[in-house]
Amino acid sequence: MEIVLALAIGVLTASGLWLIFRPRTFQVILGLSLLSYAVNLFILAAGRLRSDAPPIVGRDPASADPALYADPLPQALVLTAIVISFATTALLLVVLLASRGLTGTDHVDGEDGGA
Amino acid sequence: MDDTRLLLLVLILPFVGSAIAAFLPQRGRDVAASLAGFNALAGAIMIASLYPIVSPGRVARFAIAWIPALDLNLTLRLDGFTWLFAMLVLIIGALVSFYARYYMSPTDPVPRFFAFLQAFMGAMLGIVLSGNLIQIAFFWELTGLFSFLLIGYWHHNQSARDGARMALIVTGAGGVCLLVGLMLLGRAAGSYDVDAVLAARTAIQNDPAYLPALVLILIGAFTKSAQVPFHFWLPHAMAAPTPVSAYLHSATLVKAGIFLLILLWPVLAGTESWFLIVTSVGLATLLVGAWSAIFQQDLKGLLAYSTISHLGLITLLLGLGSPLGAVAAIFHTVNHATFKASLFMAVGIIDRETGTRDLRLLSGLARFMPITATLAMVAAAAMAGVPLLNGFLSKEMFLAEALQAHSGTVIDVALPYLATLASMFSVLYSVRFIHQTFFGPAPSGLPHEPREAPPWIRLPIEILVLACLLVGVLPALTMGPFLATAVRSVLGDSAPAYSLAVWHGFTIPLLMSFVALLGGIALYVLFRAKLNDTERPPFIGRLKGRRTFEAVLAVIVEAARALLRWSGTKRLQVQLRLVILAALFAGTLPFLRFGYSRGPVPDTLIDPIFGLLWILGGACAIAAAALAKFHRLVALVLIGGAGLATCISFIWLSAPDLALTQLLVEIVTLVLLLLGLRWLPQRLTDVWPAGRKPGTVGFRRGGDLLIALLGGAGMAALAYAMMTRPLPDSLSRYFIEQAYPGGGGTNVVNVILVDFRGFDTLGEITVLAIVALTVFTLLRRFRPAPESIQIPAQQHRQNAFDDAREGHERGDTLLHYLLVPRAIIQWLFPIILMFAIYLVMRGHDLPGGGFAGGITASIAIILLYIANGTRAVEATLQVEPVRWISAGLLCAGGMGLAAWAFGYPFLTSHSRYLAIPWIGDIPLATALIFDIGVFAVVVGTTVLILIAIAHQSIRAPRAKKPVDAAPATPAGEPV
Amino acid sequence: MTGWIDHLTVTPIVLPLMASALMLAFDERRRVLKRVLSLATAALLIANAAALVWFAGDGSGPRVYLLGNWPAPFGIVLVADRLSAMMLLLTSVVGFTALFYAVARWDRSGPRFHALFLLLLMGVNGAFLTGDIFNLFVFFEVLLAASYGLILHGSGTERTSASLHYITINIAASLLFLLGVALLYAVTGTLNMADLALRVASTDAGDLALLEAGAAILGIAFLLKAGIWPLSFWLPRTYAAAAPPVAAVFAIMTKVGIYVILRLSSLLFGDASGEAAGFANEALLYAGLATMIFGIIGILSARQLTRVAGYYVLVSSGTLLAGIGIGGEALIAAMLFYLVSSTLAVSALYLIIEPVERNADEEDMIAGIAEPVFDDEYVGAIEEVTDEEGVIIPGTIAILGGGFIFCALLLAGLPPLSGFIAKFAMIDALLKASEGDPAGWVLIGLIILSGLATMIIMTRAGIDLLWTPGEDAPSRLSLVEVVPIGLLLTVCLGLMLWAGPVMAYLGKTSSALHQPAHYVAAVTDAPQAGSEQ
Repeated sequence: MEIVLALAIGVLTASGLWLIFRPRTFQVILGLSLLSYAVNLFILAAGRLRSDAPPIVGRDPASADPALYADPLPQALVLTAIVISFATTALLLVVLLASRGLTGTDHVDGEDGGA
Repeated sequence: MDDTRLLLLVLILPFVGSAIAAFLPQRGRDVAASLAGFNALAGAIMIASLYPIVSPGRVARFAIAWIPALDLNLTLRLDGFTWLFAMLVLIIGALVSFYARYYMSPTDPVPRFFAFLQAFMGAMLGIVLSGNLIQIAFFWELTGLFSFLLIGYWHHNQSARDGARMALIVTGAGGVCLLVGLMLLGRAAGSYDVDAVLAARTAIQNDPAYLPALVLILIGAFTKSAQVPFHFWLPHAMAAPTPVSAYLHSATLVKAGIFLLILLWPVLAGTESWFLIVTSVGLATLLVGAWSAIFQQDLKGLLAYSTISHLGLITLLLGLGSPLGAVAAIFHTVNHATFKASLFMAVGIIDRETGTRDLRLLSGLARFMPITATLAMVAAAAMAGVPLLNGFLSKEMFLAEALQAHSGTVIDVALPYLATLASMFSVLYSVRFIHQTFFGPAPSGLPHEPREAPPWIRLPIEILVLACLLVGVLPALTMGPFLATAVRSVLGDSAPAYSLAVWHGFTIPLLMSFVALLGGIALYVLFRAKLNDTERPPFIGRLKGRRTFEAVLAVIVEAARALLRWSGTKRLQVQLRLVILAALFAGTLPFLRFGYSRGPVPDTLIDPIFGLLWILGGACAIAAAALAKFHRLVALVLIGGAGLATCISFIWLSAPDLALTQLLVEIVTLVLLLLGLRWLPQRLTDVWPAGRKPGTVGFRRGGDLLIALLGGAGMAALAYAMMTRPLPDSLSRYFIEQAYPGGGGTNVVNVILVDFRGFDTLGEITVLAIVALTVFTLLRRFRPAPESIQIPAQQHRQNAFDDAREGHERGDTLLHYLLVPRAIIQWLFPIILMFAIYLVMRGHDLPGGGFAGGITASIAIILLYIANGTRAVEATLQVEPVRWISAGLLCAGGMGLAAWAFGYPFLTSHSRYLAIPWIGDIPLATALIFDIGVFAVVVGTTVLILIAIAHQSIRAPRAKKPVDAAPATPAGEPV
Repeated sequence: MTGWIDHLTVTPIVLPLMASALMLAFDERRRVLKRVLSLATAALLIANAAALVWFAGDGSGPRVYLLGNWPAPFGIVLVADRLSAMMLLLTSVVGFTALFYAVARWDRSGPRFHALFLLLLMGVNGAFLTGDIFNLFVFFEVLLAASYGLILHGSGTERTSASLHYITINIAASLLFLLGVALLYAVTGTLNMADLALRVASTDAGDLALLEAGAAILGIAFLLKAGIWPLSFWLPRTYAAAAPPVAAVFAIMTKVGIYVILRLSSLLFGDASGEAAGFANEALLYAGLATMIFGIIGILSARQLTRVAGYYVLVSSGTLLAGIGIGGEALIAAMLFYLVSSTLAVSALYLIIEPVERNADEEDMIAGIAEPVFDDEYVGAIEEVTDEEGVIIPGTIAILGGGFIFCALLLAGLPPLSGFIAKFAMIDALLKASEGDPAGWVLIGLIILSGLATMIIMTRAGIDLLWTPGEDAPSRLSLVEVVPIGLLLTVCLGLMLWAGPVMAYLGKTSSALHQPAHYVAAVTDAPQAGSEQ
C-alpha cells in the first residue's frame, strides 16, 4: 500500500515537473495541477495510511480514542491546500489568458522563442 | 568646563545658517551673505575665546552620548593644532563669504549658494573639531557631498557637472576606504576616541592591522588632498565659482587630507612603510603639480596645479617623519592657505573685470588695475617663496628638512636637488603669472574693457596679503605663539627647537632658494614664448586622469552588463528548473549525510484494486504529460482522470471530506479550463524555422526529463521513508478527544477547520476573495487576441442555419437543442441549492462544510448558465459576487470578533445543539456562522471567476468596441 | 486576562481584513470613502504596531495570543516579541506612506486597489505574528495573492507577462512550502513553532534525515521569497513593472522571507543543534555573498532607476542573509538596523523615481554612463562656453533633488542619514567578530562595493535627470506625493538621531533571538482565557 501510494506520488510529480518545464502556458497550468495532486497526497501520507477509519467521532467521550481514527490534522491541511491551489490555478489561468491576449502568443516568455 | 559648549555652538551655527539661507528668496543676497559672514566670524571669535584653554597644552572636550553601544558618541575636541586649523577655516570662510557677496552676479540666485557654502564650512569644522574617528569619517563624506553641490553650482554647464561628479566619486571612494581604515585603527587602539587613539601609538604600530589601516587611511587622505595619482579631479573642480575655488582649494577641502595626516601623525608616522609611501607620493605630487602648472594657459588651472604641488610639498614634509618636518608642514599649511586664497580671489577679479582667464590674452593689466595687480603680485611672490613673505619661511624650513638624512635611501641623496628643482618650477610659474598678466603691452581683444575692481571686493584680498606680509616680516611676533601651541599639541614632548627668524645667516637652504629664484626667472626669460603655445605639459601631458577615469567607469559598466547577461536570465523555464534543482539538492543533502533508510513499520498489504486504480491514474498523468502540447482537450480529460484517482484514494484513505471537496473542485476547475481553452491559439505544428529543431532542443528536453524523473523519484522516496515510520504522538490526539466536548462537532476535520484552526480558514477565504478581485481586475481590461475573436465554426454553421430560415433568431437552434437539459436543470437548480445548504449545516458532524457547500451552489449556477446562456440567466437572476464575498468575510470575521465581547480571544466559539422537530437536532456551534461566511465567500468567488471568464465569449466578437466592458456588470461594477 | 491590550496582538491582522471586507460592500464610485477608510486603517496599524513595540520594549517577554482560546500547541498562536513588533512597525510605516502616495493618482488606475492593498498588509502582518508554521503558509498565500493583484494593478502588457512569471514561480515555491511542512509534521507531529523547537531537540537519529530534508525544502521556499541568487531573477523585473506605490510596499516582502529564516533558524537550529545548523549557516553565507555580487552587477548595469532599486533589494537581501550566516549577537543587531534602514530607503526611492523621471525620458539616462566623455585633459573655461550665473531652480526640482540626494545617500550608506550608521554598525560588528575570518572580510568588501556602485549610478542618474538643463518645464508635483517621501526620509533621519535607543532595542532583540528558550516558554505557558473559573 505505502509503496503504491509512494509510486503514485512519484509518477504525478514526474509528469507535473515535465509539464511545468514546457514553454506553453497551458502545459504549465496542467503541470501545476498535477503537482498539487502529488503534494496533497503527500500531506495526507504525512498522517500515515489508515483505511476505512474516517475521523468522525461518536458523541460519548469513550469513543474519542485516537487509535480508532485516521489522523484528522493532515486532512484539514489538505483541505486548505486544495482550496488555495484551486484559487491560484484559477488566477493563473486568467493571467495566462490576459497575457495571451496582450502578447498574442501563449509562450511563457510572452514571445515565441520556440520550445 | 562649561564654555566647551561653545564648540557645539560653533559646529551647529553654519548648519542653522545654511538651513535659513536655503529658504531665503532668490534675491536675498545681502541677507544670505551677511548671515554666512556673521556665522563664520562669530565662530572665529568663539574659537578664539577658547585659546586660553588650549594654549597651556590642554584639550577642550565636549561630549554627548549618541550610540554608546557602538562606542560612537558626538565628541568635540579642541587642541592647539585644531584651534589653529579651525581659525583658518572660519576666518577664510568669513572673507570668502564677503568676497562672494560682491563676486556673484546680481541676477544669480545666491541664497542657495550660501546655503551650500555654510553647510560645507560646517562639515569642515566637523572634521576639525571631532574627537571621534567615526565622526571624522562622517563629516569627511559630508564635505564631499557639499563640495559636490558647490562645484556643480553652475550645473547648467557641462564642465561643472563633470567636475562635480568626478570630485564626488573620487573623494567619496576615498572616504569609504578612510572609514574602514579608521575603524581598523580604532580597533587596534581599542577605542574610536581620538585622544585614546593618540595615546596608543605602540599598540597601533605593533598591531597586525597597522599596514592595511595605514594604506586605507592614506588612500582617503590622498584622494581628498589631490595627491598623485588621484590629483586629476582637482583641476576639473575649477569649474566651480571662483569664491568656491578660493575656499575649497586653499584652506578647506583639499586640506582635510593634510589635516588628517597631521592629526594622526604622532601615531602613524615614523615607520618604514609610512616613510616610503607618504614621502614618495608627496614628492611625485610636488613635482608633477609644479611641472604641469608651468604649462597652464588658464589662470585658475595654473593655481590648481600649483595647489597640487604645494599639497605634495606638505605631504612630503609629513612623510619625512621628523618633528621639524611636521612643524614645517603645519606652518606651510597656514601660509599656503593665506596666499592661495588671495591669489584665487585676485584671479576671480581679473576674470570678472576682463572676462577671460587666458594667460595668452591677458597682458599689461597693471596699468588698468594697479591695486589688484600689486596684491596679486605680493601673493604670487609669497607662493614663489620670495624672502620677507610667509611663503619664504616655510619654504626655507622645507629646504632645510630636505637636506637632512632620514632613511639612508636614495631619497636622501635626491631630495635636495628635487626640492630645489620644484621650487624653481614654482618660481617659474609664479613669474609667468605675474609678468604675463600685469606687464607688457595693453591687452587687445578682451571680452570687456579692463578696469580696477570696486574697493569692497578687494578688501578680503588686502587682509590676506597683509597677513602674508606681517607673517613674512615678523614671524615670531605674529605667528610664533600660535604655531608653538599647535606644534606642542601635535608633537607633545618631542616638539623640537626651531626659530622663526627671517634671517638665519648664509645657510645652504638660503642658497637653494636663491638658486631656485634665479633659475626660475632665467627659465622664464628663456622659454616664455614657447610656454604660450604648448597645449599640454610635455612628458606627462599624455596621462589623462579624466580620460582614464571615464574610461574605467565605462569599462566597469560594460563588464557588469556582460556579467549580468551571463549570470542572469529572463526565461521562465530556466528559473523553474533552477527552483526545482535547488529543492532537489536541498532535499537530497541530508540523506547523503545520514543515509537513506525506510522506517521500521511494515507495509500494509497492497490492495490490488488500489494498485489498479493507480496504474490507471499514473497512466493518465503520463499520457497527459505527453499529449498536453498538441491535444489540449484530451490532456485536460486525462488530468481529470488523475484527479479522480486522487479523489478515490482519498476515500480509500478514510478522508471523505477531502474526496468530496476534491471532486467538486475538479468539476469547477475543469469548467474553468474548458472556458479558457477557447482563447488559446491554434497549436502551430512547426514552431521551428527549418533545421533548428535538433540539437539544443533535444538536449534541453532530455535535461527536463532527467530533472522530472529525479524529482519524481525523490518525492516517492521521501513519501515512502515517511510513511514507513511510526507516527509520533501528534496534536491530533487532542483534536479527536476535544472535537465533541470542546468543539461541539463529531466531524473532527471540520471542527479543526472551523474551530481549532479556524484562523487558517479565515486566511484561506481571504485568499479566495483576493483572487476573485484580481481576476475581475484583469478581465475587465481583457482584450482577446485578434485571431481568436471570430466565433467558432460550429456557431457559424448554426447562425447560417438560423439565417436561412425565416422566423428564426440567431441562436434559436442552440435553444432547441438544449430544450430538454434546460428543463431538467430548471428543476434541479433548487434541489442542488438545498443540497448545498444541507452540506453546510451538517458539515460539523458529517462530511461537508462551508467550502463543499459553496462549490456545490456555484455548480448549480454554472449549470444554469450552461443551459440557458449567459444573457438569459442574467436577465432573470442578479448575482452580485463581490457583495457575497464582502458579506461572507464580514460574517466570518464578525463571528470571530464577537468573542471579544465575552472577554475571550478572537475566534473563540461556543456550541450547543438545537432540537428541531422531524429534522432532528442540528449543531448550532457559533462555528456554524463562521462556516456560513465561508460558504458565502466561496459562492461569490467561484461564480465571479466563472462568470467573468464566461462573459468573454459573449463580448469577444465585439471586443473591438471599447464601449462593451461586459464582465463589469455581474459584479455590479461601474463600466 | 484578555483585555483590549491583549487584542492588540491580533488587530494588525483583523483590522485590515474587516476594513477591506467593508470596502468590498461599496462599489468603486465611493472613492473618497474608501480612501478615508483605508488611510485611517493604515494609520491605526502604525499606532497599533507602535504600541506593540512599546510593550515588547519593556522586557515583559513575548506577548502570546491564543486564537479560539485553545491551549498552546494545539490551537494557532500569535506571538508578538521584539522582532515581530519591530517588523510590524516597519510594515505599517511603509504601507501607510505608499498608500498615501497612491492617493495622488495611482489608486485610480484599476479597481479595488485599497482593498487589495490592505489585504497585502494583513498578509504581511500575519506572517510576522503567527507562531504556527502552517498558518504561516496561509499568510504567505494571502500576501502573495494580494501581491499578484497589486502587480496587475493598472494592467498593461509588461505587468501581465511579468506577473505570469512571478505567479508561476511562487506557486512552485508554495508547493515546496507545503512539502516541507508535511515533512516536519510527519517527523515531529506538530505545527506550532515553539512546540516544534522542543520536539526537534528530541528527534531520534533515525528521523534526522527526513527532518532536515523538510527544513531544507522549507528553506528553499523562504530563500526564494527573500530573493536569493539564483532564484531571484524575477524580482527586479516584477518590481519594476509594478506601479510605484506597489513597488514601494513590496520593499517589505523580501524581508518577510528574511524574517522567517531568522525566526526559524533561531528556533529550530539554535545553538543547541550543531552540525546541521553549521551547514545551513555556511550555505546562507555563500548564497548571500553570491546574491550581493549579482545585485552589485545588476546595479552597475541597470539602465533605469527602477531596476537599480530592484537590484538594490537583492543586495540588501544578500547582505542580510550573509550576515545571518556569519551570525553573532552584535552582527545580527547591526543587520536588523540595516534591514530597517534599507527597507525605508528602497521604499522612498521607488516613490521618488516616478516623479523624477516624469520630465526626463528614461533611455538616455543611465545608458549615458556607458559612453565616456573622451575629451581632452583640463582646459578650463577657455574653450567651453560657460555661463557664469546660477539658474533659478524651480521648487519642484529643488524638492525632488533633495529627496533624491537623500535616497542616494541612504542607499550608498553615506552620512548624514541612517544608512551610514547601518554600514558602520555592520562593519564594526564584522571587524570585532571575524578575527581573520576571510568570509567577514569578503562581506565587508562587498558592503563597500555595493555602496560605491550605488553612489556611481545614482550620481550619474541624478545629474542627468535633475541637473541637465531640459527644455521642457518640470511637470508639477502634487503635495500628496511629496509628503510620504518626506515622511520616510524623516524616519531615516530619526533613526540616525536616536540611533542609540534603537540600537539598544535591536541589541535586546538579537540576544532574544539567541535565547529561543524564552520564546518557547512564553508560548507553552500561555494561559487560556477564563481558565481561572
